[in-house]
Amino acid sequence: MGSMDNTAKRLLQRLVRRIPSQMLKTTLDKWSRLTAAQRQSMDYAESKWALTEKLLAICEENELTVKHIAELEMIHVIENPNLGMWYVFQLMDPQDDAHSVELTQFKEQFKSHLSELIRHVSIKIKKHTDEAVWIRIAWGDTFSRPNHLKPTYVVHYLQTPYVFLTSPTSKQKPLLSQALVLSTRYQAIKDANLSGRKLTAIRDLLMKQYLQVFPTKFPSPLAERNCVVSNLHIEKEQAGSAANRHQMACEAFGDGILPQLQSAVYKLETKFRDHTNKTMTERDEPFKCVVKFASTNLLESLRHSASSGVTSTPVTPLLSSVPLKGKNYFVITDNGPGPSSQMKPSQK
Amino acid sequence: MSLLKPFSKLPGLNTANILLVESEEQFQQSLADALVEETSVTVNVRLAKSLPLPMENDESRPRIDLVVFIINLTSELSFQSAEASLKYLDPGYFLGKVCFMVTNARNASSPAERLDAVRKLASSLHCPLLFAEDQTPDGVASATERLLTILKVAAGLVPIATALYVSNLTRCTLPLDIDQPSFD
Repeated sequence: MGSMDNTAKRLLQRLVRRIPSQMLKTTLDKWSRLTAAQRQSMDYAESKWALTEKLLAICEENELTVKHIAELEMIHVIENPNLGMWYVFQLMDPQDDAHSVELTQFKEQFKSHLSELIRHVSIKIKKHTDEAVWIRIAWGDTFSRPNHLKPTYVVHYLQTPYVFLTSPTSKQKPLLSQALVLSTRYQAIKDANLSGRKLTAIRDLLMKQYLQVFPTKFPSPLAERNCVVSNLHIEKEQAGSAANRHQMACEAFGDGILPQLQSAVYKLETKFRDHTNKTMTERDEPFKCVVKFASTNLLESLRHSASSGVTSTPVTPLLSSVPLKGKNYFVITDNGPGPSSQMKPSQK
Repeated sequence: MSLLKPFSKLPGLNTANILLVESEEQFQQSLADALVEETSVTVNVRLAKSLPLPMENDESRPRIDLVVFIINLTSELSFQSAEASLKYLDPGYFLGKVCFMVTNARNASSPAERLDAVRKLASSLHCPLLFAEDQTPDGVASATERLLTILKVAAGLVPIATALYVSNLTRCTLPLDIDQPSFD
């Protein structure tokens, strides 16, 4: 009877399958649960199956448990944050001491609150170099032990109201929300309507970690930058309006390299508008449809479509709200601006 | 309405001026770089996204000898922009000083109807229709060569040949079965 039970074995197998062989060595080194001799004995050119067997044997030798394998998984996820599906939540109404919550206090409070709310839960908290607090939660309930095969990861940047979660289920969400709200000293938490596969991209979008461009009356630096005409004999007739479009596109989306947001979804609940189609326009109920924009880098595509004149400038608030509000899910209704997730549709 | 006029300015000595109009502003840049390499004649290239051209440049703009509309057959916007720009040209240009150049004719995503529409447009205006390949340097070079041939005639630099005469030979004609459905 070894220390590695079935769950631990399955978790290890899954991990070794997921981590590319080249990265396995560095990840295991960071884990530092293997002795130097054991690390030497690993041959990373072998098949994944052979590597798994080897590692299993080593883990048994060191009497490691599922908790240690969970550590290894956490290291891998922290190094590769762009492989999941992340959902952003925002904490609301800070109490007076919310801005002075520091790491130790947050860790203790979160662990104690969540353990109070749910009997069997396994929590690991790690502070990353970039000020992010990473939390791995394995959920159990009154009757069963924590399930390490379906963990939830939470990332929180202290001093900001933002929390990033992977796949929260509807049962776990209220408990998690409660624990987060209490330990951060806020009063509520809500869905921030921003999600994506790349954690770094949605974080950079939210915290505006890209080059912002502000409206200026004398954009002379831009005129110099636009002087890419190679030859005296080549003249651009409409250089002025091209520069204008570029300026407005950059004001809406930012300059330089933009965070790699990959989709934006608009849920329309507006009335059908087309004069040539009487049957549809006569209906009272809104015409419900969902419009999804997808791209390898949606913000750069939108910026390019504005600067090249494909979409009209000034950029419609429907599109510029993505970077301005840091959201990529919108519900559009015919009424005026309602709660923060609703917007007025454009006039066209 | 500010029409671009073909003969309202004096020509330059041994000079030819060409205006490339392209909604997407891509191919025109590589064509321009290749066109100015010509040594026997001084070629000046003006680039625009669409017509009308800004009034501020009217004074400094030389006499335009040839106007080329570049249409990307995979884009409806490209076609519509070119079509809408036509009305800003003085009718005098359509006597051999306008030509259409299309790209991506063999691309699977170019609908056949669009090429037919461009053909009908070029034929109704008595203009030549050139096909170009814009992705390779060879494609750019051969498109440049063909444009230079027409440009030199349009600028009056080729003895005996005039733009109107040449356009009668090079203008686009419609095949008799253009309105028949194609085999697809």
